[in-house]
Amino acid sequence: MNKFSLCYISFFFLFFFMLINFFMSIYFIMNQMVMFLEWEIISLNSMNLVMSILLDSISLMFMMFVFLISSSVIMYSKSYMGSELNLNRFIILVLLFVFSMILLIISPNIISIILGWDGLGLVSYCLVIYYQNMKSYNAGMLTVLSNRVGDVMILMVIAWMMNYGSWNYIFYVDFMSNDWSMKIISFMIILAAMTKSAQIPFSSWLPAAMAAPTPVSALVHSSTLVTAGVYLLIRFNNLLMDTLFIKMLMLLSGLTMFMAGICANYEYDLKKIIALSTLSQLGLMMSILSMGYCELAYFHLLTHAMFKALLFMCAGKLIHLMNDNQDIRLMGGLSLYIPLTSLCLNISNLALCGIPFLAGFYSKDLILEVVSMSNLNILVFNLYYISTGLTMFYTIRLLMYLMVNDYNLLSIYNLFEEDYIMLKSMFILLFMSLISGSFLSWMIFSYPYMIYLPFNLKMMVIYVSLLGLLMGNLVSNTNIYSLNKFFLFYKLSSFLTLMWFMPMLSTFGLNYYFLKFGQKLLKNIDMGWSELYSGQGMFKIIKYYSLINYIYQMNNFKIYLYSFVLWMMIYIFMILLM
Amino acid sequence: MLFFFNSNKMFFLFTLFFSTLISISSNSWLGCWIGLEINLLSFIPLISNPHNLLNSEASLKYFLTQSIASINFLFSIILSLFLMKNFFMNNFISILINSSLLMKMGSTPFHFWFPNIMEGLSWLNCFILMTWQKITPMILLSYYFNMNFLMFIMILNVLIGAIGGFNQTSLRKLMAFSSINNLGWMLSALMISENLWMIYFFLYSFLISIMCFLFYMLNIFYINQMFNFNMKFLIKLSIMINFLSLGGLPPFLGFFPKWLIINYLILNKLYIISFFFIFMSLIMLIFYIRIIYSSFMFFSFKFKWFKIYIKNNFFIMINFFSFISLLGMIFSTLFFM
Repeated sequence: MNKFSLCYISFFFLFFFMLINFFMSIYFIMNQMVMFLEWEIISLNSMNLVMSILLDSISLMFMMFVFLISSSVIMYSKSYMGSELNLNRFIILVLLFVFSMILLIISPNIISIILGWDGLGLVSYCLVIYYQNMKSYNAGMLTVLSNRVGDVMILMVIAWMMNYGSWNYIFYVDFMSNDWSMKIISFMIILAAMTKSAQIPFSSWLPAAMAAPTPVSALVHSSTLVTAGVYLLIRFNNLLMDTLFIKMLMLLSGLTMFMAGICANYEYDLKKIIALSTLSQLGLMMSILSMGYCELAYFHLLTHAMFKALLFMCAGKLIHLMNDNQDIRLMGGLSLYIPLTSLCLNISNLALCGIPFLAGFYSKDLILEVVSMSNLNILVFNLYYISTGLTMFYTIRLLMYLMVNDYNLLSIYNLFEEDYIMLKSMFILLFMSLISGSFLSWMIFSYPYMIYLPFNLKMMVIYVSLLGLLMGNLVSNTNIYSLNKFFLFYKLSSFLTLMWFMPMLSTFGLNYYFLKFGQKLLKNIDMGWSELYSGQGMFKIIKYYSLINYIYQMNNFKIYLYSFVLWMMIYIFMILLM
Repeated sequence: MLFFFNSNKMFFLFTLFFSTLISISSNSWLGCWIGLEINLLSFIPLISNPHNLLNSEASLKYFLTQSIASINFLFSIILSLFLMKNFFMNNFISILINSSLLMKMGSTPFHFWFPNIMEGLSWLNCFILMTWQKITPMILLSYYFNMNFLMFIMILNVLIGAIGGFNQTSLRKLMAFSSINNLGWMLSALMISENLWMIYFFLYSFLISIMCFLFYMLNIFYINQMFNFNMKFLIKLSIMINFLSLGGLPPFLGFFPKWLIINYLILNKLYIISFFFIFMSLIMLIFYIRIIYSSFMFFSFKFKWFKIYIKNNFFIMINFFSFISLLGMIFSTLFFM
């Protein structure tokens, strides 16, 4: 009976869908095909509400990656969540999550996109609060409310697009790109994408969402939730290029990349380091996208999805092995004890910082060289290269802590690696993070990019990477007992550790003043004026009139009859006088 | 249910029904008057009960008011015959005739007898008084309708009905005031068309019949009986729904005739009247809800040692009626798509 659990069934189906999507995407690329299906649900006053499906090479290949990652994640969670009572509920939630992502990917219509968009927000909330404790409730609330801002933006885009008669934005992004209301739409789309992809004002939810179970983090941070924003911007790319907002997005995403890179270096929580590295890679995708190279952003999105999912799954396994401990200071020397997991972890980590011929190299190197080729100001250029160095920095620091330094947990402890369900699902992604870079670079680009750079600029990536390697190596030597200089620069360190105070901004900053204002409103309006003038006041008035009515009602019966007769007699006299 | 098997009363019930038919189908005012008189004389034996002082008092009061109204009616129709030809309309004479008819049906400026008499009747007699006894005067009113006078009366009816019932603890008086309120609606329906009046009247009598039969079965006369009464929850719910329906809350049947009337009033540009009607129906809803709400929420007593089990087939009918009152409007929309 155990063999036919929901995990295996859904693994099988998802893997099967992955294969279908793989072959279809190759077929579509070969024949330069696009398939557009449209079902008109209702047509009201020349506004067509349609459910449309767009299948082209972009959406098919993206779906293939989503299916691949979700299939291996679900198989992984068979073991990771093995002792969970409601495993089926968990699997169904993950499947719903994948389903809403698919809806988002295939729909070129802003109304059908909001199905997937809202679904992602809702199900991600359910998954973040899956371990029902106060920390995950808070994290879930932060996540869902940050994402809600983006939902509202999409809703407002729906309202603005009503003028065009249809919500198939795919037809309007080119054609209407000079229209004034399209500018507003582009602004809102960028804001929505910034919330989903956790760019700077909204990025506090992404590390907080680490409260979710690790398979969910693997899925969320690689290919589904956070990449939805990037994907939306890829779809809207033609519209966005001429606007002012895209330049703001370039700056903000560059800062996100920088901020996440620094913050990851301060962090000791294994999952949070990986989450911050995701944030930094998202910043990279967004900034290259805002320069107009949406293909490159898409390329990096896919390769990043592979190794980041693998990285999270390795981290989950480590957490399992380490007695549910997430602190990297307590881990160390793991390459000796758990070689296979360490292999996966090292490969994915090195792919992350772009070691040649792993997945990350192809996309990241190409992005950086294109950046060097294009006209940029020195600020953005520096942000790119410093962030690349920082990526190497925190990766090497993580590797040194995990693989090289001393093992600091309990002195008698058995690391059980031979959990083959986890290992198998990790090997699928390991394979993909080895080959996906070259394979995608052959498939996505119909002709290679021409890069022409002076020698030092070309070697710039290697310079910053070597610098990062050195720094990471040095920093990792500060172990738990050594004197650290945190308190020497207390304010600066707090600023950098706490993600530039963004969690405070989006939790206390948005809570406190509104709650206080709400309390004042409650006292003055709800319990004050509106009670006086609508509820109790009206009641008092009616009661008063009702009492007056009783005084008339309490009269002698004879008086009624007399008064009636008197009334009639008045009229009779009037008739007689007439 | 002895009421229906007393042959004496059966006879008077029969004449009660037929007197109404006589007066509404007669082609002269005198015939109408005759019908009204028979109606009065056959209703008095129905309500009088030698063993109950309140009933006798009510029958006496009823006799006095109705006979005075009849005298005035007779006087004014003869006066109109004297003063002018039969088919002329005259403002003052129409006011005379209308006032005597308003006195007969217990409309507002002459309504003082109505709650007093209701207080002395049993629930079934209340039902007859609130529904059947209103047919004759209203139909006669439609023959000689002084619109300027009656529009004022309608607004007054709705106001007095809503405000008078507000502090009421006696359910019969409360229903009397609710009837006065509905009389305003019915007069406005009558002003627009007789068919509209008929729809309103039928649905109103239907809803009132559920309430009266329920209270008759449960023997409830005052609001405080609701609180410590050990009813089943479903009966409470049924009373609640029927009250809401009577008050005209939208998904229920009672909203349907009010909706029609508001629609026609607005079509005829009678905005002020419809404004008053809608606002006062809110107050009506408030005191309808207040009757049952507290027994639902705060005063929901449950005695373990005192239980009332009502086993009666009559309840099946009431349940069926309340079902119609609950879903009637929804079903009716299905019929007339």
